[in-house]
Amino acid sequence: MTAVPQEKAAQLDAIEESGWGQPYRFLQPHNVAFWVYVLGVGAGAITMLRVFGPGAQFYTPALAGGVVLFGLYLVPWLLLLRHHNRFTAQPAGLLATGFVWGGVAATFWIALPANAALLAIWAKIGGTSFAQAWGAGLTAPINEEFAKAIGLILLIGLAPRLVRSAYDGFIIGAFIGLGFQVFEDILYVYNGATQQYGVDQLGSSLRVFIVRGAAGIVSHALFSAIFCAGLMWVLGRTRGERNVVRGVLTMLMAMFFHFAWDDMGVVSNGGVWAGILPFLIAAVELTALFSVLRHAAQHERTWIRELLTPELATGAVDPPLLDAVSGLHKDRKKYRKHLHSRRKANHRLEAASDLAQEIARANGAESPGVVHTRAELLRLHNKR
Amino acid sequence: MSTREWVPVEQRWFGLDRRTFKAGFSALAIALLLIYGWQGLNAAIPWHNEIRAGQVLDLGNGATAVPPVGWQLEQGTLVGGAGASATSLEVLLAQGGATIELIGTTFDGSAAAFLDQVHRSQGSPPGVTAARGTLTTDSGLVGVVESGSGPSGDGVDVAFKMGTGDAADSAPALLVRVRTASGQFEHYEDQVGAMLRSITPGAAR
Repeated sequence: MTAVPQEKAAQLDAIEESGWGQPYRFLQPHNVAFWVYVLGVGAGAITMLRVFGPGAQFYTPALAGGVVLFGLYLVPWLLLLRHHNRFTAQPAGLLATGFVWGGVAATFWIALPANAALLAIWAKIGGTSFAQAWGAGLTAPINEEFAKAIGLILLIGLAPRLVRSAYDGFIIGAFIGLGFQVFEDILYVYNGATQQYGVDQLGSSLRVFIVRGAAGIVSHALFSAIFCAGLMWVLGRTRGERNVVRGVLTMLMAMFFHFAWDDMGVVSNGGVWAGILPFLIAAVELTALFSVLRHAAQHERTWIRELLTPELATGAVDPPLLDAVSGLHKDRKKYRKHLHSRRKANHRLEAASDLAQEIARANGAESPGVVHTRAELLRLHNKR
Repeated sequence: MSTREWVPVEQRWFGLDRRTFKAGFSALAIALLLIYGWQGLNAAIPWHNEIRAGQVLDLGNGATAVPPVGWQLEQGTLVGGAGASATSLEVLLAQGGATIELIGTTFDGSAAAFLDQVHRSQGSPPGVTAARGTLTTDSGLVGVVESGSGPSGDGVDVAFKMGTGDAADSAPALLVRVRTASGQFEHYEDQVGAMLRSITPGAAR
C-alpha cells in the first residue's frame, strides 16, 4: 500500500512550511543578524567583566556559589524545556544561541543600562518614593521583554526557515528567558554579597538562590515564552498564523505578568494579601502559559500530522499513534491508556517523532534514516 | 556552502546579504533605542527633587536623618514616603558634583569592625587617608570616621551601628559615604557634619 498523492503533497508542504530538518549554522558572515548578535554578546560580555571583574577576587565564594547553585538549577529547567521542544523540534545549537543572547546580551548589554536610565527617569518624574514603590514594575517589563525578544528577531534572521510558528517563538522565548534569568540571578548573588560587604558570602548566595530559585518558576522563562509566542503571531511567519490583535494582547499579557510579579509588594499593600498574592499570580500565569502553549502548538500539530499521515500506509504509524504524536497532553494520556502501558506508549511516541524528524531531514524522500526509523517503529509495534 | 545558503548577486551589498537587513537592523535599532534612548531622555530631564527645610530622610526601622537643604534626593525616601529597610537601605543625595550615600546593611560587630569590612571589600576613601576618628550624633550614636584626600577627589566614610548599648552589635549597620571633587570637601563640611549629627536610631535602639 502506498501513500495517496494528496497526502504526500501535504507532507512535502508541511516540511517546506515548517522548515523542519533544515540545518542550523551559527557562523554566517554575510548575515547582518549574525554581526548584530556578535556585537550584542560581545558588548554584554565586556559589561559583565566590568561588573564582576573588580570584585571577582574578593567575592569569589559568592560568585562560585551562585554559578554552582544556578548551574544545577538549570538542569531541571533544561529537561522540562527539552520535553516541550516537541513537534517540529528546534536544533540544540539554535536554542543555545538564544540562551546566550538572553544571558549575556539582553541582561548586560541592554537591560542593565536601560533599566538604570528608566529608573532614574521615574524618580525624576514621580519622585524617589514613587520610583522605589513602582519603578521596578514600570521598567523591567518594557526593557527586559524587548531586550529578550530581540534575540528571537535575530534568530529569525539567522534561521528564517527554522523559526516559523508561534510554537517556535514559545520554545525559543523560553530558552532566551532562561538564559536571562540565570545570569540575572548570578548578578543578584553578586549584588547581595556586595551589599553585605562580603560577610557570609556562601550564606548570602544560598539565600538569594532559595528566593530567586523559587520565584524563577514563574519568571523570565515564562514571560519570554508568552511574549515571543505573541510576537510570532504579530509577525505571522506561517500561512494563516498572523493574528496581530492576539499577538499584541499576548505580549501585553506577558508584560503585565512581569509588572505584577515585580511590584507584588506594592500591589498587595502588605497584610494577608502579601502571603496570598504570589501563589495567586503564579496560578494565573501558569494557566495563561498553558493556554498560550495550546494555541501556539496548533500549526505544529497539523504539520506533524501531515508529515506522518503517509506513514499510515506503511503501517509504521496507526491512527491512535498519529493522534497522540500530533496531539496534546490529553491525547498522549489517552494513547497510554489505549496501550495499557505507559512505557510502550512513550517508546512509540518517541520513535514516531524520530521517524518524523528523519522524513523532514530527507525532505520527504526515502533515506537510510527514514528506512531505519520506520523499521524501528515497526519493531516496536510487533514487540509484545 | 549549500545552494540554499547561496547569496544571489543582486542580493549582495559589500559582502552582506540584503535579505538579512530587515531582521538584523530592526533588532539593532530596538536595542540602541532601549540603551541610548532612555539614557538620552534621562540626561535631558533635570532633577527636581530638592530637599526642602523640615524634610527628614527615612533610614528604615524608625531611624532618620536630616538631609542638607538644597541637595537633590536621587534615591531613597523621606519620612512619610514609600518606606525604607534599614538592612537594604540605599539613599543618594547629590549637589554640584558632590554626593552623599547612605547605605544600610546587616553586620554583627562594632562600627569600627564594620568600617574595616567595608574597606577590605571596596577600598578606603580616595588618596591619602587620615587617622580614624569618632563622631557622636546628637542622639548619642557613635560613628567611626575615616577620610581621605587626593587628586582623584576627597572622601569621607562614616560607619555607624544603629543601636546603642548591648543592642549595638546586632543592630543594622549604616555607612555614610561622602565624595567630592579634589579639594572641595571643605565647601560641604558643615552641611555634611550637620546631617551626620542628625542621624537618629529607630526601633533597634
